[in-house]
Amino acid sequence: MTDNPQANIDALKDWRFEIDFEGIAWAVFDCEGETMNTLGRRPTEELMAIVARVEDAADKGEARGLVITSGKDTNFIAGADIREFDDLAAGEDMEEALSTTIALFDRIEKLRVPVVAAIHGFCLGGGLELAMACHYRIATREEGTRLGFPEVKLGIFPGLNGTVRSIELAGAMDAMGIMLTGRMVRPGPARAIGIVDQLVATHHRLRWAARKAVLQKRKSKGAPWWKRLLRKAPFRKYLAKKMRQKTSEKVREDHYPAPFKLIELFETFGDSRRRLKPAETTAFVPLMAGETAGNLRRVFRLMEMLKKEVPGETFKPRRVHVIGAGTMGADIAAWCVVCGMEASLQDLNEEQLVKAQARAKKLFRKRLKTKQAVDAAVARLISDPDGKHIPRADVVIEAIVENLEIKQKVFAGIEPKLKAGAILATNTSSLQIEDIAKTLKDPGRLIGLHFFNPVPQLPLVEVILGAGSLDTEVRKGCAFVTAIKKFPLIVKSCPGFLVNRVLAPYMLDGARRYQEGEPRDKIDQAAVKFGMPMGPLELSDVVGLDICKHVAETLKLGPMDDSELDRLVKNGKLGKKTGEGFYVWSKGKPKRQQATFDEEELEELGRDLVKPMLDECERALAERIVESEDHVDAGVIFGTGFAPFRGGPLHYRKQMKGGAAEAA
Amino acid sequence: MAETNIRRVALIGGVRIPFCRAHGPYGDLTNLEMLTTALNGLVERFSLEGAHIDEVTGGAVVTHAKDWNLAREAVIGTKLAPTTPGITMMQACGTSLQAALGMGAKIATGQIECAIACGSDSVSDTPIVFQRKFAQRLVKLSRSRSIINKLSVFKGFSLSELAPVPPGVNEPRTGLGMGQHCELMAQEWGIGREEQDLLAYESHKKASAAYEAGFLDDLLVPCAGVYRDNNLRDDIDLEDMANLKTVFERSNRGTLTAANSTPLTDGASAVLLGSEEWANARGLPILAYLTHAQTAAIDFVAGEGLLMAPTVAVSKMLDQAELTLQDFDFYEIHEAFAAQVLCTLKAWESAQYCKEVLGKDKPLGAIDRKKMNVFGSSLAFGHPFAATGGRILGSLAKQLASKTKARGLISVCTAGGMGVSAILESAVEKNSPVKAGSTDLQTESTDSSLSGHSGPGGTVN
Repeated sequence: MTDNPQANIDALKDWRFEIDFEGIAWAVFDCEGETMNTLGRRPTEELMAIVARVEDAADKGEARGLVITSGKDTNFIAGADIREFDDLAAGEDMEEALSTTIALFDRIEKLRVPVVAAIHGFCLGGGLELAMACHYRIATREEGTRLGFPEVKLGIFPGLNGTVRSIELAGAMDAMGIMLTGRMVRPGPARAIGIVDQLVATHHRLRWAARKAVLQKRKSKGAPWWKRLLRKAPFRKYLAKKMRQKTSEKVREDHYPAPFKLIELFETFGDSRRRLKPAETTAFVPLMAGETAGNLRRVFRLMEMLKKEVPGETFKPRRVHVIGAGTMGADIAAWCVVCGMEASLQDLNEEQLVKAQARAKKLFRKRLKTKQAVDAAVARLISDPDGKHIPRADVVIEAIVENLEIKQKVFAGIEPKLKAGAILATNTSSLQIEDIAKTLKDPGRLIGLHFFNPVPQLPLVEVILGAGSLDTEVRKGCAFVTAIKKFPLIVKSCPGFLVNRVLAPYMLDGARRYQEGEPRDKIDQAAVKFGMPMGPLELSDVVGLDICKHVAETLKLGPMDDSELDRLVKNGKLGKKTGEGFYVWSKGKPKRQQATFDEEELEELGRDLVKPMLDECERALAERIVESEDHVDAGVIFGTGFAPFRGGPLHYRKQMKGGAAEAA
Repeated sequence: MAETNIRRVALIGGVRIPFCRAHGPYGDLTNLEMLTTALNGLVERFSLEGAHIDEVTGGAVVTHAKDWNLAREAVIGTKLAPTTPGITMMQACGTSLQAALGMGAKIATGQIECAIACGSDSVSDTPIVFQRKFAQRLVKLSRSRSIINKLSVFKGFSLSELAPVPPGVNEPRTGLGMGQHCELMAQEWGIGREEQDLLAYESHKKASAAYEAGFLDDLLVPCAGVYRDNNLRDDIDLEDMANLKTVFERSNRGTLTAANSTPLTDGASAVLLGSEEWANARGLPILAYLTHAQTAAIDFVAGEGLLMAPTVAVSKMLDQAELTLQDFDFYEIHEAFAAQVLCTLKAWESAQYCKEVLGKDKPLGAIDRKKMNVFGSSLAFGHPFAATGGRILGSLAKQLASKTKARGLISVCTAGGMGVSAILESAVEKNSPVKAGSTDLQTESTDSSLSGHSGPGGTVN
């Protein structure tokens, strides 16, 4: 890369650059044609030209400092350009490419004039690494400002010496904390741990604070002595042990190696910049090139794909009306309120409404930070036994009993009251949209919005396209789902839609194997080892065995009579909710057997367990109930938690076949 | 100005943040934050992102010294063009209405094309200052150079000087609170407790019906997660109200209670005004025209009722407009206290008062109460002083927009014995009210006008 023709400082595309009359050099990052700044190849080359120019000007005494800032409203730099990662990972010159950017950051650090990063909005990954190479960091206190290293979520860790500099600035504990979790840090805590040196109230002040910092030659002090002490050998060993412990509670090393590699890196080289720098690159390259990181990048792309499912849609819902205050209805309403909307909840049973309010309040307390925010949320959830708020709602969702006639009756009552342009949706999981829509005057208006339980945790919502559903309504449905911070997946109306359809064979197959004598804990351990969040038997217990049976019947998955599942249901052992199913449950946890099984056997069983699921995914794709293979994978990953590091069921099967072909 | 053609002043629309009782959901917000939210709501509603507005005028009554440039600071925080000037002004509870009147005059004469009138008030973010004596010591201290001088500044210092002073809401000239003055008016005019309670009760009922009908949906912009005025009581009960203790006059002569007086309230509002040309050029709807206005003051120091000045302002304005008090389809009489409204109405009906104070041969007469505060008023919504005028303008304009050739009257009382009044006229001249999203258009009778939530909202995105 070093022999690339250097970008022309007078014809920058992604940066604006000037040295003003005071001698302050301003480098304003403003990626051409994008809303987000990412440090891709071209902007990096342009930054190189800028740095060269500042070096020169500083030598001649024409520049007294450099300010690096952003021209975007919502972000400083969102990170490296993930679109370029695949090329980078596949290329043989990854190490060289890395070293070029690392060298650029080193040059910035070594500039003889003060370099200030002025941060507003997201400052993530490679963007934070660049900021850390500057001498001083100023950030706004505004709501949108967030700093962090999300790399672990992509199966890697900071690779542009972010490990080195973050430890120097924030100390090992805090720096490793943000790198291992990938969490986004708000301005206050960022200042407290030391990755930011100064905060200003609003973005207006940023320019002026940066100017002052340059004129006063401010420099970050780095971590205080006691934090530096923690990098020394005995403490480091202890910290590494603790970190390993904590990380293992969340992820398995065989599935997600990156955080463990990072801990190892810190443990071995943590107190020496000279040794940590090259070691970071050495450890980074194989991770980046590895299968896990590739698959996680795929998951990231799938996520972006679902978020942008309906570009240009302007529907902006503010008020939601939910009919039916059962767990599902109540959770949907409460979640909409958490996301800032106003929700009215309708139920004939007043007691149910009271329960829903109490349940919602718990959620608000957990999700919202201040008492004021909680109080405001409580006021936004309106109990509406008579459905008075229907005419005001932008979105009306029905979540009552799965009974066709009752649903039809309810919808017939709602339809004439609806505001023009409002969405009309059902949360049914087993009835067909077409049947429910039959009695409507405008059947095209009805869509399905299929939420998953528990609503606050599960990120996917299936947007169901009935045979007659209007495209406009489906688009608005997707916009609504995006507005409540979930991923919309458009699925054609069919029994079980996508998620239940592929989950049911997996669960039933687990039950069948159990009936045929495979140990219960072996089955579930094997599935978890494969990467499923829960084994099929535990999952069945959590969902409720009666519901499993009902879904299986809806999907016509063979005769249920005389099965273990049937027997348990008949005996009233419905799983977690009754305290016993496949497992005995106490305090919300299943009583497992402490048995260990042969690792290889588990692996093989794991593969066998997901096979029915993969088969069903292929059938679903063949029937085109979703748009593409990617949509199947996205739906199954976000809807069932299917091992993200495997990149999705269809992708996994393809990789397996590819692997087998290569082996042959 | 070279041109003296008077142009019509178009009211394009108003928005406000929900009003909240003091020390509640907006407890942590400042006037600047609330005003910025209201302005940004207006910007979003009328697609003013990046637009230059000729003047943004408004202010706050209870305000910090640091907010000396409140209107301009708020503008800088919005998505309006940074070239938009902001002028901070204040006339107590009349602030945002007075701001609109001033802007209207400038638009009428062609000096400017468009303007925003706004106001905000927070009793939660109260400026607390040192007593004057101690403050003067601190000023002297900062100006003295030698140690001896510095020490001498504190000669005669007493600890009592350190007690902080909250802003006074009492009338400086009489030492009486607003409520005490209003209680006196109620005694003078013989306004009973029951009458006051009923007015407050109806205000809540009308306001909550307006909510249910969705009338307020496009007039409100959420702020800090709040969607709804929190003073409003759907379940208000006359019996409960009757059991409340009086608050300004504790003896059994007292009639004013917490329920028939407005509470201390936080909130902000903003109203967009412009010339017809400007509105048309931007494709914005015109809900109503601002046609007449008056401001008046009375000599309350000499004993006249503190909040009676609107009677004078309205009387003068009617003369100027050549209208009678009965020529209106809607009356927005700001409910600072139920008693204030009732005294005002009674005064207009009193031959003696109209003759002696207003100089009229005949009383102005009674108004049709069904046309008054049709969608509720301050007793229900609350009264963040400087924001109330903006609330009334936005709401009345929306009421007028669905009617043909309709007229609305605004009357607001303010501290210092002043009153501000204005007339809005429907922009619909022929028999084709502005079509809206809803199908149930307003019927002609105003008592069922809650069905007329079909404001112009549907025509604006």
